[in-house]
Amino acid sequence: MMGAEGAGPVPDTLKIVIAGGFGAGKTTLVSAVSEVESLHTEEVMTSESVGVDDLDGVEGKATTTVALDFGRITLDGSTVVYLFGTPGQRRFSFMWEELADGALGAVVLADTRRLTDSFDVIDFFESRGVPFVVAVNCFDGQRTHRADDVRVALDVEERVPLLLCDARDRESVKEVLTELVALVLRLELSGA
Amino acid sequence: MEAVPPGWDPGQEEPFESSLIRPYSLTGGRTRPSRSDFSVTSQVVAVPSVSQERMDPEVELILSLCARPVSMAEVASRSGLPLGVVRILLADLLDQGYVTVRTSDWERRRPDAGTLRSVLERIRQL
Ligand SMILES: Nc1nc2c(ncn2[C@@H]2O[C@H](COP(=O)(O)OP(=O)(O)OP(=O)(O)O)[C@@H](O)[C@H]2O)c(=O)[nH]1
Ligand SMILES: [Mg+2]
Repeated sequence: MMGAEGAGPVPDTLKIVIAGGFGAGKTTLVSAVSEVESLHTEEVMTSESVGVDDLDGVEGKATTTVALDFGRITLDGSTVVYLFGTPGQRRFSFMWEELADGALGAVVLADTRRLTDSFDVIDFFESRGVPFVVAVNCFDGQRTHRADDVRVALDVEERVPLLLCDARDRESVKEVLTELVALVLRLELSGA
Repeated sequence: MEAVPPGWDPGQEEPFESSLIRPYSLTGGRTRPSRSDFSVTSQVVAVPSVSQERMDPEVELILSLCARPVSMAEVASRSGLPLGVVRILLADLLDQGYVTVRTSDWERRRPDAGTLRSVLERIRQL
């Protein structure tokens, strides 16, 4: 589809959410595959979440600002994938709602040092029916963690793909994204 | 491309009032957009040669960032304004005919199997 005259074609977009706790490696993962330096913006939790129509006296009303980083992968001139990193703490769930809406799927980036940080966000994607994979970022270098053990620790069902990754490594991140899109394809083919 | 309004440093932790109230003064204090056409990936394009009224510099900056199709999230990132503020300003610009917006059908409906296969293949080839 053409945009305004001379402005070039408007691409179709796919959105993938990368959710994980503080320091889980979200920014690193996004930068590893993004064609642009990872971009950064902020969202403020205000009206929708606390029912304020204007910001008079906002000091007492607004609550949280959330830093969002995101990257872009142009697959061809007409298809662009956006990766949005979002913190995995429950108080940021207003952002999960917005990002999960219309998303192709999500990557839950779990940190081997703080596995339980991923519980809330896993519950969220499950309850919303957003397809997701769990990628375990192995900070301690060696892949000493067995995927099966992590699966048990996180109580993730067999049908949810779970893989070990290194968020700094482009090939590893491509593997994670491939796993996610393959899952979505399986769901599509099975009519789910 | 990387234009950022003067005095705005996204890396700097600012007190809440200055970092939030100032951008929201651009919206006249509104925290909700006039319409809900914009998701973070919605592609926005400025409409060329609409007669230029005098606008806030931030609004002019936003228009200049949309000379080519660009996502709302990228407009926010490049302008240094919070996403919520950009959403309101873009909704106003859409109301006034200064921009067009397109949100991919894939936000409403999963891509078909053929599309998913080619996405898979292209990611493998990156
Ligand atoms: N050893 C190792 N370090 C990593 C890996 N991934 C990320 N790091 C490092 O861990 C730190 C945190 O990574 P980030 O990508 O900033 O994590 P984040 O999830 O974006 O963190 P916040 O945005 O602060 O929540 C950085 O110093 C990274 O270089 C990894 O796979 N292995
Ligand atoms: Mg980060």
